[in-house]
Amino acid sequence: MTPTEQLYQRLRAERIDFFVSVPCKLLAELIERLEGDPDITYTPVTREEEGLGILAGAYMAGKRPAMVMQNSGFGNTINAVCSLLSYFKIPVVFLTSHRGSEGEPVEAQRVMGDAVKPLMEAAGVDCIEVASTDELDRVGEGIARAFETRRPVGFLFPFSFWRGGE
Amino acid sequence: MRRFEATQRVMEAITDELVVCNIGHPAQELFVIRDRPENFYMLGSMGLASSIGLGLAMSQDKKVVVLEGDGAVAMNMGSLATIGLVRPANYLLIIIDNERYGSTGFQPSFTASNLRLDAVARACGVERVTLIEEEARITPAVEGALGADDGPQIMVIKTETGMPEGIGVIPMDGISIRDRFIDAVGA
Repeated sequence: MTPTEQLYQRLRAERIDFFVSVPCKLLAELIERLEGDPDITYTPVTREEEGLGILAGAYMAGKRPAMVMQNSGFGNTINAVCSLLSYFKIPVVFLTSHRGSEGEPVEAQRVMGDAVKPLMEAAGVDCIEVASTDELDRVGEGIARAFETRRPVGFLFPFSFWRGGE
Repeated sequence: MRRFEATQRVMEAITDELVVCNIGHPAQELFVIRDRPENFYMLGSMGLASSIGLGLAMSQDKKVVVLEGDGAVAMNMGSLATIGLVRPANYLLIIIDNERYGSTGFQPSFTASNLRLDAVARACGVERVTLIEEEARITPAVEGALGADDGPQIMVIKTETGMPEGIGVIPMDGISIRDRFIDAVGA
């Protein structure tokens, strides 16, 4: 099973049932999986901040929502994280490919790659790195904590996660 | 007709629909005009009311009405593209267009010069787009839109600028607004 498939099965086991996405090359397989699953609600969005609005609405209608995005997109969400998610105590799950992590070929990705974790923490997001599929229990624990405490959780999946055991 | 009167006419057509309202003065006016548990007052995150409403419409069957402003839609114009893609039948977006950033000192917005939001909505693939300039047309138009099940629908209501005196901040905190609204959604 690919790392993407293992992650997706874990997300479904944690009853995540509403997804939006902004693309990243590392997320291509996951996005195809979302498009093909009739048991979830899914749409692409134009920008990560817009996606957070949609997820907040879905949460208030009883869904367990998640955003699939690249770490650079977190910079587009910060006001919504603070004044929508934190202010109204709305938990969402960020599933974030971590460009700029070890193995990054594009120099320009490094700056936001280094900044994303402190930015998430400053904005009140519970930030959890998942370096390989051996660490997928962290996803389950983080999601449970997010919905219990009604605080958003952000998972960072570096290149090592998507490469799997290759 | 100012935004206040336009909002009054809209709310005369509302029965049990979920209403999501834009930040600032629009939410404060709605609270004064007709506070109800089915209202979600979005107190931060300017631009995201249309998106919050879209997420609600995608997740449950009740009709969702969003009260947006022209400046807020300009800030999150991609939302119109997503609405045109997802096409939820139970979704009505009402843009009250006073051509100003009213809550911040009535600075002119883009609709005062070059931006036509009804044309943008159509270009995003939404067929049922209505432009309203007369106050008497608002209540029947909203009733008609809510009676049809062929959304999404987008209504642009052109108004004058300005607002009544003496409207203050909403005396509820976020958690109270949220909990009351989630109960009213009942999903």
